Order: sequence, then structure tokens, then C-alpha cells
Amino acid sequence: MPMLGTGILSNFFRWTTRCSTRAMATTSQTATKPYPFSKTAIIHPEPYVPPPASLVQGKGLMPHLQKTLATPEKLDMLRAYFGRHSYRRILPGSIVSVTLEHAPFNFTGVVLAIRRRGIDTSMVLRNVIQRTGVEMQVFVNSPHVKTIKVVQKPPKGRMKRAKLYYLRHSPEKMSALAGSKKGTIA
Amino acid sequence: MLRLWALKSKAPLFSKCLHNSPIIEAAASSPSSAASLVKWTPDSIRTGLIARKRGMTALWNDQGVRIPVTVLQLENCQVTANIVTVRQDKSEYHAVQVAASDKPLKRTTRQMQGHFRKANVQPKRIVKEFPITPDAHVPVGTTFSAMHFVPGQYVDVIAKSIGKGFQGGMKRWNFKGLRASHGVSISHRSAGATGAHQDPGRIWPGKKMAARMGGQRITTQNLAVVRVDTSLNLIYLRGAVPGVDDAQVMIRDAKKLTAVGRHNQAKGLYEKVLPKGVDDLPFPAGTLEWAKSLPSIIEAPAYRRSPFMPQE
Repeated sequence: MPMLGTGILSNFFRWTTRCSTRAMATTSQTATKPYPFSKTAIIHPEPYVPPPASLVQGKGLMPHLQKTLATPEKLDMLRAYFGRHSYRRILPGSIVSVTLEHAPFNFTGVVLAIRRRGIDTSMVLRNVIQRTGVEMQVFVNSPHVKTIKVVQKPPKGRMKRAKLYYLRHSPEKMSALAGSKKGTIA
Repeated sequence: MLRLWALKSKAPLFSKCLHNSPIIEAAASSPSSAASLVKWTPDSIRTGLIARKRGMTALWNDQGVRIPVTVLQLENCQVTANIVTVRQDKSEYHAVQVAASDKPLKRTTRQMQGHFRKANVQPKRIVKEFPITPDAHVPVGTTFSAMHFVPGQYVDVIAKSIGKGFQGGMKRWNFKGLRASHGVSISHRSAGATGAHQDPGRIWPGKKMAARMGGQRITTQNLAVVRVDTSLNLIYLRGAVPGVDDAQVMIRDAKKLTAVGRHNQAKGLYEKVLPKGVDDLPFPAGTLEWAKSLPSIIEAPAYRRSPFMPQE
């Protein structure tokens, strides 16, 4: 007796569910297939096309995940501000202002370091607020990061270091970086 | 290192070992439909899987918390044998033999070719055994899927750690070395003395010294499964996993936490048997057929209050 649940019938179910969930980014279980092992699990929308065989074997898997695990808006942000050849890229020594969805809601500071790891890219911003040095590591792909704005580019176009940790011990160099911009750095 | 478990339950000389006996096949053959009729119980121990460590990245969960994850990929992980061994004291040892990563036929020995032919699978690079309870046998030839693990559960990962080469006492055993100055001559990182005096007049066996470090079997316990992707056969675990990228790793349900669950079941605390958010586990195993009837990408939400909400 031919076995049901395999072959044509299961493919039919996959095709219909793909059509029904095409336009929705849903977390409900009613429109998609039921998941019996966890009632509260988040069900992501099905991929539109099955992945190529090379990805299933592992060839180029991590670069594929770097492109697919982030939203298009975040990928644009990463490419624009952290791409090595972007004309809008953030350089260490520039003054950057970020808008966040949690406290402190907006933070402006000097970029001390940029850590490039694909979607795990982050930068360290330093500012002196009320005579206290404050540093913040901002992960670009975080859903809490709303906007990034370059307030001032580094002096003479670039700094001579990739990591400016020496600024932690020289407030005079920090204020020299702040330069003519009033009110950005205390 | 003395392994007491090896001394305790040694397999005696004359024990009956049944590989793929007809009794096991008849009992373990799942019905034609993808879902299994046999249900998971807190006293059952399921089989594990063999996967490849592909790398690490970061995910952000529904609360916006960053979770560093290791990506593991199943590479045609299949069952090659069901093992039942009856010891002289009549106790039984049950296990499922799992193999992964296809290998060219010409590079497989004749003996292994015969073994894989009997199981009706492609020759594989790695073959490992997972001890189970008698109800968790899986039919030979079944291909596993990433849905075997449920997001929200905890797993143990076993792999060979990164080799560090010949290393000194400071790196290998966290020795403190000697002073940087004050007269110390060219022995700043040395181990120093290695024993007492005339009594005992020798070095105790097992003295910590410089030698080759790393490249050993390491178990990392209680890693949470964050996300499961059956289209690419990926398992995302929170935290780091031993070994280099593309290394073979064994993944199984966390022994210590499932034992705690077993004890809670016995005590009557039925809500604490499985981790929060996990209602059931695929039993006896999550197969490729079963995965076709389930959603592809499943993620575990955060089961705690958001750390971004200010406390009262």
C-alpha cells in the first residue's frame, strides 16, 4: 500500500502553505503549519525557494547567513556606514550620534573602535558626560538602534590608528577631536 | 585520569550483542505517517546527532537581547545500527549507532563498506554510538533532521578541542610562573620546583608539567537551543562549542537537566520536567519525513522579563 504523508501529498501541503504565507511575516501558528513541541515558539515565515544543494552541504553557509539573518534596512546600514569602500563609511575618530529605543535614547560620542564581524559589527563610542567618561558599544544590527548619524568626520580625513584607546587617558586630545563643534563633547 | 565509570560496568567476556536484531526492527519501525505514535516520557533517553560546527554569529531575540550563537549543520546524519548488548548480570545496554558526512566509496575500507551496505546508507566519515533507553530505538537508515531538537531545550555538545601544541605550565595548568624582576634569571615562566626532598626523593606520578595541550574530547554542557532551521538543517546554540569550524560534533540532550526533570516527574512537579516553553520532544527521533510536516524556521522567545524594562 503506498505510504501517505510522503511524496506528492507532503509536497502539495508545502506548496499551499508557501502560497498562503508568502506575504505575511506572521508569528501565529494558525496560518502556518502547527508546531506541537512548543506553544510559545516563534515560527518564522517559510523561505520562498528551497536553498541550493551547495548551501545544504555547507559551502558558503556563513556568508549566506550574514546576508539573510539581518533585515534589508540593517544590511543597508551596515553597507553604508561599515563597508570598507563606502563613501559614507564611519572612520575611527569621527563623531557619531546614535538614536536608540532604550535609555539613553540618543548618544553622541567619538568612535574609538570598529569591530567588523558581518552582522555582529559594533563600534565603541566615547563621550564625557557631567565630568564622567562614558563608553558605549553599539551593535549595528540590534533592533534597538534606530539611526546612526555622522556628526563630524575625523580631522585631516583620517586618524593614524584603527583603535583609539589612547584617548581614554588624554582628555586634551579628546577635546581637540571635538574641535569647533559646540555642545557635542563636554 | 582514572575513569571510574569504565571500571564499574565493564562488558564481560561473554555477552550477547545484537546488532539490528529482528526484534528491534519490528519494535522500532515507525508507522507510515511522519509523526510518531510512541510518546516521549521523562524516563526515556533519546538518541543524539552528529553535526558539523560551521561558525559563530549573533542573533537578536524578540526582546532585542543579543545572543551569541554557534551554527551547527547536520550533514546527512543517518542511523547505521541499533545495538543491544546483554551483560552477564542480565542487564541490557541499548544504543543507536549514528553516522554522518558522506565519504567517497574508494576511500572507505572494505570492512566499513560492508557495514554501510548492510545499513543501506552511503559510506560516512564519522560513526558514533549514543546510549538510549529501549523505547528510543530508531529504524536503521533513518535520516535525522534539525527538528530533533526543540528551541528552548538544553543540549550537551561533545567535540575535540582546538589543539594548542606543546604548552608550558602557565598556559596548561595556570601556574603563576616566577617574578618578572628582582633577580629572577631567565626562568620567568618556568614551573619552579617539582617535588620535596630526599623523602620521597622522586616526582609523584601525575605531576602537572608542560606537554601537548588541546586536541582532546571535551563536553560542553547545558547549551540552549535558540533556533532550528530544517530547510538548511541548522541548529543554533547559545554559546561556544569546542573545536574548529567544520569539525564533527556530537549533540545530545543535556544529561544533567533531563535528570533533574526525571526527579521532578518522580516528585510530582510536572511543570518542571521540561524547560520553560518546551511541551514535548520528538520521539524516538526527529526525522527528515517528520520535518516536512512542520514549519522550517522555529525560534525560542525569551522566557524572562525584558532587561531593557526599568525595574521599579
